[in-house]
Formats: sequence, structure tokens, C-alpha cells
Amino acid sequence: MNPIRETDLMITRRQLFGRAALGLGTAALANALGPDLLANTDSQTPGTHFTPKAKRVIYLFMSGGPSHHDLWDYKPKMREMFGKNLPEHVRDGQRITGMTAGQKTLPVCPSKYPFTKHENNDRGLWVSELLPYTAKVAKELAVVYSTFTEAINHDPAITYIQTGSQIPGRPSLGAWLSYGLGRMNENLPGYVVMHARSKFPEQSLFGRLWGTGFMPSEHQGVLLRSEGDPVLYLKNPAGVSTKDRRAQLDTLAALNQQQYQEFADPEILARIKQHELAYRMQTSVPELMNLSGESDATFELYGEEARQAGSFAACCLNARRLAERGVRNIQIFHRGWDAHGSLPREHESQCKDIDQGCYALIKDLKQRGMLDETLVVWGGEFGRTSYCQGKLTEENYGRDHHPRCFTTWMAGGGIKPGITYGRTDDYAYNITDADGNMIRPTKGKWTPGTMHIHDLNATILHLLGIDHKRLTYRYQGLDFRLTDVHGHVIQDLIA
Amino acid sequence: MNRTLILLAAASAFAAEQPALPAEEKPVDFAREILPVLSDKCFVCHGPDTRKKDLVRLDSFEGATRDLDGYKAINPEALAESEIIVRINDADDAMPPENAKKQLTADERKLIERWIKQGGKYAKHWAFVPPVKPTPPSSGHPVDAFVKQQFPEGTGFASAPDRSTLARRLALVLTGLPPEPELLDFYLNDDSANAYERLVEQLLADPRYGEHQARYWLDAVRYGDTHGLHLDNKRGIYPYRDWVVRALNNNMPLDRFIEWQLAGDLHPNPTTEQLIATGYVRMNPTTAEGGVIPAEFQAKNNFDRTETLGTVFLGMTMICSRCHTHKYDPITQTEYYQLMAFFNSTAEGPLDGNKYEYAPVIKVPRDQVSWNDWQRLQAERDQLLAEAALTFQNPQEFQSEAKQKWDKADKGARLAMVVDENGPWKKASLTIHETAKRLAKRIGDAKKVFTTTLVAKELGKPRETKLLQRGEYNLPTGNPLQPSVLNVMGSLPKGAARNRLGLAKWLTSRDQPVVARVLVNRIWQRVYGKGLVRTPEDFGLQGQHPTHPELLDWLAVELQESNWDLKHMLRLMVSSVTFRQSSALRPALNDPENKLFARGPRYRLDAEVLRDIALWASELLDPHMGGEGVKPYQPAGMWKALSHPASNTKNYKADTGRMVYRRSLYVYWKRTSPHPMMTLFDAPNRESSCVKRSRTNTPLQSLGLLNETQRVEMARMLAERLLKEQATDDQRLNLMFTLLACREPNAAERDACKRLLDSMRERYASAEKDANDLLNTGEVPRDKSLNATDHAAWTQLSATALASDLALMLF
Repeated sequence: MNPIRETDLMITRRQLFGRAALGLGTAALANALGPDLLANTDSQTPGTHFTPKAKRVIYLFMSGGPSHHDLWDYKPKMREMFGKNLPEHVRDGQRITGMTAGQKTLPVCPSKYPFTKHENNDRGLWVSELLPYTAKVAKELAVVYSTFTEAINHDPAITYIQTGSQIPGRPSLGAWLSYGLGRMNENLPGYVVMHARSKFPEQSLFGRLWGTGFMPSEHQGVLLRSEGDPVLYLKNPAGVSTKDRRAQLDTLAALNQQQYQEFADPEILARIKQHELAYRMQTSVPELMNLSGESDATFELYGEEARQAGSFAACCLNARRLAERGVRNIQIFHRGWDAHGSLPREHESQCKDIDQGCYALIKDLKQRGMLDETLVVWGGEFGRTSYCQGKLTEENYGRDHHPRCFTTWMAGGGIKPGITYGRTDDYAYNITDADGNMIRPTKGKWTPGTMHIHDLNATILHLLGIDHKRLTYRYQGLDFRLTDVHGHVIQDLIA
Repeated sequence: MNRTLILLAAASAFAAEQPALPAEEKPVDFAREILPVLSDKCFVCHGPDTRKKDLVRLDSFEGATRDLDGYKAINPEALAESEIIVRINDADDAMPPENAKKQLTADERKLIERWIKQGGKYAKHWAFVPPVKPTPPSSGHPVDAFVKQQFPEGTGFASAPDRSTLARRLALVLTGLPPEPELLDFYLNDDSANAYERLVEQLLADPRYGEHQARYWLDAVRYGDTHGLHLDNKRGIYPYRDWVVRALNNNMPLDRFIEWQLAGDLHPNPTTEQLIATGYVRMNPTTAEGGVIPAEFQAKNNFDRTETLGTVFLGMTMICSRCHTHKYDPITQTEYYQLMAFFNSTAEGPLDGNKYEYAPVIKVPRDQVSWNDWQRLQAERDQLLAEAALTFQNPQEFQSEAKQKWDKADKGARLAMVVDENGPWKKASLTIHETAKRLAKRIGDAKKVFTTTLVAKELGKPRETKLLQRGEYNLPTGNPLQPSVLNVMGSLPKGAARNRLGLAKWLTSRDQPVVARVLVNRIWQRVYGKGLVRTPEDFGLQGQHPTHPELLDWLAVELQESNWDLKHMLRLMVSSVTFRQSSALRPALNDPENKLFARGPRYRLDAEVLRDIALWASELLDPHMGGEGVKPYQPAGMWKALSHPASNTKNYKADTGRMVYRRSLYVYWKRTSPHPMMTLFDAPNRESSCVKRSRTNTPLQSLGLLNETQRVEMARMLAERLLKEQATDDQRLNLMFTLLACREPNAAERDACKRLLDSMRERYASAEKDANDLLNTGEVPRDKSLNATDHAAWTQLSATALASDLALMLF
């Protein structure tokens, strides 16, 4: 084989390593199982397992566990039980965290917030007064009342929902998507993560939530920051102009070319290319972050807060701008939902942070014709208890962690608009069937009307054209999946 | 020849030469050719985890030849009629079934058929058979003999690179830094026949050797400076890191190195170092999240330790067996929990309390300097006590009571006796009493600044371990399990206790089949860039077969026979011709992955090395060894953006002064957010074991290389050095290239550099403020006697060279 040919082959192989602007599986192809993954595909779109419904995903992650009681899951009957002990048959042996395990009673704690029913395309959607804006897009949302998990503490639960395992070490959902989806715009990172400001930044986030575990680190999420450089080290040092950098890169390329002459290593050429990409990013990222071209109508829609870098609204606006520029994998983390003691005070502030942004993002995507190809996901790592943690009064209460049911919504990108899915009992404590009988679903076997967090992830992947059972990465001889050996695509949610 | 034959011939081209046989008769190598296929495509239903009675098991000859109502998967009496052959060729009733995820290829079907027709004999997976030292196929260096054996006919080793390139490669491999210019000079002018060997010895004796080698171990054991979960608070464990460095610099035999880490505390009267080493057992991430259930984390912590043991020592994934018997490797769920039982009786609570001093802990010297001081103090004390004891030879001066007390006392108490103002030594007004007082004060002062390190301690009464159904902590089932090792890898050595010490003895026993192979493979990997087994984390049935199985075995036994001598193994590897080849690609060999090892290593250096090289070249590197993790510059807000408000690692406060310039090994490792210049270049987060880093190539790396504050600071300090040490641009270029690449620039490089210099001089001559801004990046003050324009221009060139492959690559 001639040397040029070999070099070409190797470059091709390396380009496959997650950089090519093709679809799903380009990165996966470089893994030993890649060909397997692509072998039997029903897709019309090159590289995907089947025709994707969504081209991209924007995941609004509410870290800490929003209270489904106070936002979505309307349970008027709880009012009658105010302060009374949660009936034993409702708790049904559920293990509770060490924080409330010692409480003498588990007093039923109805939400203090009025709910209003909003028209959707189904049985209507009850939304509390904490989310007046989001309520206005009821007709776009598929609201799932029956999301569930096994983890009852933050670190394991958030690691679980974002990586498929409660113990650290696995690639994140975002990394799986990066690995599967590749990227469309070479001048921007393929997987972008934002941290939105909260007044109650309780509970931590972890690098692993957008990290790669055992996968190559190029799939990790790139933080788009609101402080300092939007992308780490984006800006030239003081005293170095763009022109200076150009001259440096030309010299760098010349030096590296000499290395190439000597070693013929295609990696050298690949690196020259990365330096050039970095140079282009120094233009494309500031352009992305520059909102001066946005109209007044935009700021009316998102709210004036969208002008403040780091606000949730600003992150949503950035998400739309990223989506427009071909970024397929966007996550916004908003902390502060862990309301053990002063739920009303904290949740009111939290909802104010996010409400208009969520609404605006959906409206904006819709008006730009992008909603049907953009999957928007909203949710946290678990829900909150029906009983009060600490002292219960009409004005104030707290809620502990609750894994058995919590509310998540999705919109756009192949989701059935304006529906609700799953039911819970009168205490929003257990999932029930349509007749109100308690269901005790497990991750091992899907029960209709329920959505385990693995099912959620399987459904997200599915909408993006990926079969969660076939997107695998071999490590230590095992073909790892985001959904472990579980996960069920919830067809009822799909348009 | 049909296509299949050609493929088979190609596949075996690397194998030892064999007389040409017709393909049908060529013996099939079960372990290499068949077992991986069975494992990957059949065992999921017909493997070790098969529970249904009517399903045949194909993981043993006995299983495969079992009579199943008149037919047998392998029928020894009529091999050609074996059910396997029938079914894999039966389109209507196919195996694997039509809907199976993994199907056999046509070649695999033929191979299986051939294997069965040749008798269908089973052999143990190669990694589970203890290695036997093969005789090298030819004379000369054993490594070269085995490597050369697999070269295609007519192929020889690549030519040697020039001596300076080789010196750079060697120094980087052994110490993680280029050779000092004086050492390089000395070597280049050393005409003796053993000049290279002398260089090797000098590098092995350099304390920076231990720092560099330690890093690989710290990745494997997931060393971090924080607890890792939830608050991710600080953890007092860095004396362990420093112990690893010291042990490697002292070339502690690796079997002892392992034994101390797993069970130093179980030795009789353990030394401080033996206890520090047990930090290994405490290295798992931990939590103290409000509301967590202790029993759950007792289990999770143990899962982590068991599975890490699997990766670090056994090259095995254990995770499957946590919930069910392994689908591929012969490990039952019971065995998993028996292995876990070794770790289930340690004394620490399952929750860390968010405490730095997460008990049990001990107090020890805080860095290498204080460690050395402490050793001296102890030596002084020992000598003093010996002298003090001499007085007993003159018994009338003492009451026998004192002697009795002395005999029972430990060293500390004895010193106290000599110091005692009412004690016999005082009464006798011996000078030794005064000396002892001074010494005791010094010892007391030294102890005041001792720091904490987490250690392992065994409970008096072991915890009961049971199998946990589906890996659920609240579903223990069956009888209590005794700690025990994996059956497929032998048994506990005779007389070994069923505790961590016994576990360590098993790991390092001569007939333990995998540990020496796993370790030697990782040593090879750091020398050559890629392992002999390309899946260093998996030596099981799903792992890759070694490129050079005999060489791997030879090295593994050599490691054992050399008394587990790491320096000996490194010496052996770097002295081979295989290591001393040019690393230029050899296109004619069509071996892009270098599976033949027919050229020298070439790879992008690790994150830490990239930073260290630049610190070193700019003479900023602070040689201080050990101590609490250091915090170089880091963009503001990175920790805060994700930390819990109650976390004590919420605010990143960069260090000042010399600490900012310590070697990267010492950079503070917050597990949920390691330093971004580390993660950008593929350093793992140390939440889980990593035995092979990825080596990615991204635009964000380019931004980091050229814009990060310390990179710029290092570039301007390199520029300063060049300007001060050399008079002309040509001489400066020579020095810069010598530092980074161990050679002078060629004409094209010289030209490119000078062009940049010219344009930058022109630019900064008329932009004084820009020049000053650039030169004020970072903390170290610049030498203002230097012309700012010159300095800025050279800074730009230095930054460029430091970001080029000259400084990024091992070659």
C-alpha cells in the first residue's frame, strides 16, 4: 500500500472520531461495535437507526427535585387530609430518607397554591399559579405524571438520571448523544452545557453529569459560561490581537508540518485542523453570545431578565441561538429545587426564574418553525413527598425527596402535543392505573402508564433516531448502554 | 485459494511461522480464535449465567458434550454431526437466532466448524492460565527476539533515531520531563559503550522518576483530594500520594507495594508507612448526603472497591456479577460477594461526615521534607534510646522497677522516661537527660504540624457478608459468605488468612495468573504508548488478545522472578532495540496501530507532562516534593458554579508564590471538578479507576494551550530565559529547540520562527501597552531590564513553540 493511501485511510478513520458533520454513529463507527450498530438500520437518514423525529434536544434540568405537588400534579383531596398522618397503605413500605425517617408523623401537606385547568389536546392540564407562563403553552406539552426512579438522595439520583447508573463512572446522557449524533457545526462545540443562576443554589452539580466516564473525553459537554470567557480560554491573552494569533497559528502550522515531514503521522494534520477550528471558534462564540441583533420582541417574549447573562431566560435564549446554529445537544442546569424547609419561599423564586424562559423557548422555537424538530425536556431527578418535612402550617412547609412518582414534561421534536401521561393516587404518592389502582412498576419490566428514568432516556434517544439498545460502547469487554439493560420507548408520547 | 482462506492466512500472518498446511487441517487455536467468538456471540444465552436446565452451556467441553435427548452440541463420536454445526448452518432454525443482536460471520461459522471437526477441544482462556516463561525465539535481547519473530519476512527493526531524540524519549518515559541540558550534553559526549545504560541509570535515580511513575498508579486507584460525592468536601489523604512517590523512587518491590496498600494495617506492629499505604482501601468516593441510608452506602462503597480491584489488578470487569453471574467471564455472583467480603469489615463508617479526618486516620509528616526530617528525628531517638539503655548495664543506679517499665514501653514512652524530671536519668544527672529533652521538644514540634491521612483498620468482629439479590443493599440472601478469591484464578495461598492480607498474598502469588500480566502490560503501555493487550482494563474473554502473547508471559514471569522489580522491568524495556527505533510511520507495513512494534512510540503527552515541560523549560518548576494539593490559576467561578453552598471546596482560591509552579502531580484534585487544563487533555476525574487515558485532539485544547494564564506566563519566562542566556536570535532558537525537542531547528523551522519574530517585533515596537500587558500575564514579575518589544516578540514565539507538536508529543 502506498504511503499517501495509508495516510488517507487513517485520516478518514480519525475524522470518524466524532468530528465529522455526519449524523448518528459516526463517532460510534470508530468503536469496535460501530459497524454492528449500523448494520441493520431502518433509517432513511444516513447514520441513524431510524428516521429521527428530532434533530436536536434542549434539556432543562431542574436540579434538586421540583415539587410535583406544587406545580403540576393537582390533588384537591389532600386538602381534606391537611395535617393528618399519611395513611399507611399509601406509604406501602416505601423507604424514606434519613431526614424524615425520624419524624413522629408524616402529616399530609396539600399545596397552598391554586391550580387552574388549561385546555390542551387531551383531558386538560392543571397547572398551579406558580407557572402562569408555562401554562400558556399547555397545548404543546406532553406532561408525564408517572416518572419514577429508585434513588432517594440527590447525588445518586442525579447521577442515575444523567448517566444511567447511581455510581459515578459512566458517560452522561449528553456524552452518549455526542457520541451518537456527531456534530453539525464545526465552529461550535457539539454539546453545550449552561448553568442558570438560582437564589438557592442548594445541592451540587458534578462534572460527571456532562462528563464522559470511560468514553473519549471529546464527548464531554462544553460549558457555556456566564462569567469570564463564555468558553474556557476563548479570549486571547492581554496584548495579543486576532492578527497576532493568525501569525502564531501560521508559524505553528509550519512547525507542525516539519514534524509531519519527519513522522508522517496523520494526527499532526488533524491537530493543525483543530488549531484552525479554535481560531474560528474565537469568532463564532462571541457572535453567538452577542444579543445585540435580537429584536425587542425577543426580550418581550423572554423577559428583560434575558439580558442578564446567566439568568435562566438568558440560557434559554442562548439555547435557541445554539439550536439555530446547528448545535444538537444543549443542556441547562438550574439548581435550587431541594425544598426541605421553606418550600413556598424557595419554589416561588425558582418558578419565577424559569417560568417565562420555558414558555418563551417553546413559543420562540414554534414561531421559527423549529419546535417540531427540537425536543425540549423539563424535569428533575425525583419528586417531593406528599407529607410535610418539619413544621406544617398553611403558609409554610417543606417536602422530602420522593422517588415513586414525579412530573416531567417534553415538547416539540416528535412529541404528541398537549397530552398528559400516567396517573397518580389522591396523594400524588403512588402511580395508579386509569381506575385508580396502585401500580408498583419496576425498572425491569415496563408497565403502561409509567416512565422509569431509563424509559425517559430511551425515549429521548429514540426521538433523535437512536435505538437505545443499539447505541453501545465497549469498555472492559462489556457493551455499555445509557439505559443499562432496561429502558422502554414510550410510544404513547410520540406523535 | 478462496476468500476465506486468504483472510485466514492474513489473520495468522503474524503468528509464528508454521509449515504450510491446507487450511482445513491447520489447527485452530481455541483460546485465541474460538473462545472470543463463543463469548461474544453465544455466551449471552449459553454461557456461565445460563440457568435454564434445557439450555446447553457452551463454556466448557463437559457442557457442550452433554446429551440433550439424543443430540449433543458437540458430539465427540460423530463430530461432523454436532448440533452446533447443524444449527449455525441452518437457515430455518438458526443459531444464533435470527433476532439475536450479534450474528456469526461466514468466516466465524467456518472456523467453528473446523474447530469442532478437529475435536472441539476446549482450553482455558489464556489469561486464566498462569504464565510460563517461554524461551525467547532467538538470542539477543528477549524483548527484541519476541517482537522480531512476528515481523513479516524481510522486515527488520526501524533505524535508530538520533541519540538526542532518543535521550528525550527516554527521559520523558522515565521521568516525565526532557533531559536537563547538562545531562543531555554529557550523554551526547559520552563515547563509552554503555553511555545509554548510564543515562538510563541516571534517570531512574532522579526523584522525578517516582513522581512521574506515581501518576499512572494514582489514575488507576482513583486518587483524589476530595470525597467525590455530594458536598465533595476535602479529604485528608495526600500522604498516600506522597508515599506512592517515595515507594516508587525507592523501587519497592511491587508485591510489597501491593500488599501494604491492601493490608498494611494487618501486619504485626504496622509501621507508619504501612498504614499510610492502606489509603488505597479508603480511596473510593464517599458521601454524607443528608438522609442517605448507611447500609446502602456500606454496599455501594464495597461495590466500588471490589470493582476497582477488578480493574487495577485483575484486568477484569466485575460489575456484571454484582447483580447476576457474569455472562462472559467465569465469575459467579457468589464469588463477587465473597471477594467483596474482604472489604466489608473495615472500620470506617459508610458515610464520611463531610470530614477531612474521616476516621480512622493517623497523623503523619506533611511533605517530603518533613518526612525526611522525621526520619532523622526517629534515627536520633533510636540512637539515644540505645545509649540510654546502656545505663542499665550499671544496675545499682536504677531500681529494677524502672527496668521493668522500660522493657514494656514503646519507643515514645522510653523517651519520656529519659526526659522525666523525676526519672532515673535525671536523678543521675546524666547529659543524656538534657539531650533527650531537646530531642523530645523537636519531636513534639514536628508532630504539631503533622497532617491527617485516611487509613484502613479492621473491625474486631467482621461484618457479615451475604449475596445481595440484583445488587440491592436491602436484599441480602442466603448464608453468610466467607471472604474468598475467584476460583478461575486459583485459590488463597496455603496459610493465608481470609482477610485483606490473604487477598494481597493471593494477588502476588506465583500462580495467580493475571496480576503480573496486567501490571506488566501497563508498564509496557507507558513505555511504548500502547499495551501488548490493547484493552488493559479487560483481560477477560471479551478483551483483546495480546499482540505478543509469549512476550507478555515472558515479561510477567520476569517481573515475578526479578522480585517484582519495576526499575528492572523498565530498564529491560527501554534497553531493547524495539524501544530504540525511529517513530516515523512505516507505510509499507500497513500497521497504523503499531501492533507489530516495528517503529518507536509516538503519542501526545499527558496533561500533566505538557504543563511540567513548560514549567521546566521556563525554569519556573518548583522542585518541592509532596504536600497538600496545590492550586494554580483557574478561571473564576468554576467551583462555585457547581458546588453545594455548604461545601468546603466551593471557592477556588489560587495559591500564591512557588506553589503555583509545583509539578502537576501535586495539582489539587477536586473530583467533581478537576483543574480544567487537566480535563481538557484527557485526565480522568478520578471518581473511578482509569488504566488507559484517551488521547483526544480538540479545538478547546488549542485555546487552552495558547490562552491559559499559566501557559502565557510560562512562555514569557521561557522567552526571558532565552533572552538572558543567549546573545543572538539564532542561539536562542537553538536553545529553545534543544529544551523542547533536544535538537537544533532545521532551516525551515528556523525560517518560520524568525518570520514570526520579525513580525512580532514590528508589531510590539509600536504597541508598548500591548507588549506590557502580555508581559504582565501571571504572577511572576518580569525582568524589566529586558527590552519589552523583544521580550513580547519572543513570548509569542515561545508560546507558539510550546503549543506545537515539538512540545506536545513523545517521538
